Amino acid sequence: MKWIKENALSLTFLVLFVLALGGQAVAGALQFNDEQRVMGAEPVSILEYVVSSNFAVDVAENWQSEYLQFLLFTVLTVWLVQKGSPESKEPGSEGAGSDDEQMVGPYARENSPAWARAKGLKLWLYSNSLGLAMGAAFVGSWLAQSVAGTAGYNAERLAELRNPISWGSYLTSPEFWNRSLQNWQSELLAVLSMVVLSIYLRQRGSPESKPVGAPHDVTGVTA
Amino acid sequence: MRLPLALLALALAAACSIDTTAPARAAERFHAAVAARKDEAACAMLARRTAEKLPDPGETCPQALQALELGPGGRVTGVEVWGDEAQVRMAGDTVFLHRYSYGWRVKAAGCEPRGDLPYDCEVED
Repeated sequence: MKWIKENALSLTFLVLFVLALGGQAVAGALQFNDEQRVMGAEPVSILEYVVSSNFAVDVAENWQSEYLQFLLFTVLTVWLVQKGSPESKEPGSEGAGSDDEQMVGPYARENSPAWARAKGLKLWLYSNSLGLAMGAAFVGSWLAQSVAGTAGYNAERLAELRNPISWGSYLTSPEFWNRSLQNWQSELLAVLSMVVLSIYLRQRGSPESKPVGAPHDVTGVTA
Repeated sequence: MRLPLALLALALAAACSIDTTAPARAAERFHAAVAARKDEAACAMLARRTAEKLPDPGETCPQALQALELGPGGRVTGVEVWGDEAQVRMAGDTVFLHRYSYGWRVKAAGCEPRGDLPYDCEVED
């Protein structure tokens, strides 16, 4: 019970993620089968739909944009600040921070992670591991989107009696960039909204917000 | 990280295990039936909607197919399969097929390319 309470945030998002992905699979299969009927093709089962390129590209295009959002947010907030936003560091504290502030190398505490005590590449990797993980997930998802997207797009083209195209051609196609950019713009708007609105608006009790009574021009203070 | 890679692996595995022989054989059988004037058999190899749309009012599918006088298909020079759709390029024709639970059926034949636009086909749905 204590474990569940201490991990309630992750568990809740995990359950919501699984429910949403399951819902997407069901709704996606119903929509796909509706299109199949129009084309005179046979309906597919949910399982067949889930392993299809159509489902894969829809999932991957959303994943890549989410990971891109967190990659940019994680890395850009090292160097860029927003006065008054609890999502930002204080103006003047831009940069990676000193070893003392970051508790690495000789400044590592007794309970610091082992790699925080390391030197060289190991320390660099661990010091940037969050951004690297987000970046790798972004690149992997985007690559998956391009591969699955090529397959789905070519099936559509063949159904329209058109020649299929190569993966390289798909990477420069309007279809690929429309799918990518329509996701990116929404993620970027969401981050912009969060950074700016949190200067002036409050959510009592949330670590994403400043305390309700905190002045608008105070930066980096959370409840 | 693992899930996107698993998706990629799945897509690549699916792409690598594609059977191009079955649609190629279906296209060859269709053209062999047309060449042998077995128009009824050729009509049975068409996708249902293609077979329904082919004849004019008062005409049957075999009659319509015979009237078209499709040229010979020739040997298969290339096959593309994406999902349930296939394109079989032959020396004398390009054939488009769809995969049903009961096998590949011809959606379009007697097709001429028009650049990036859809092929112009004598038989199509």
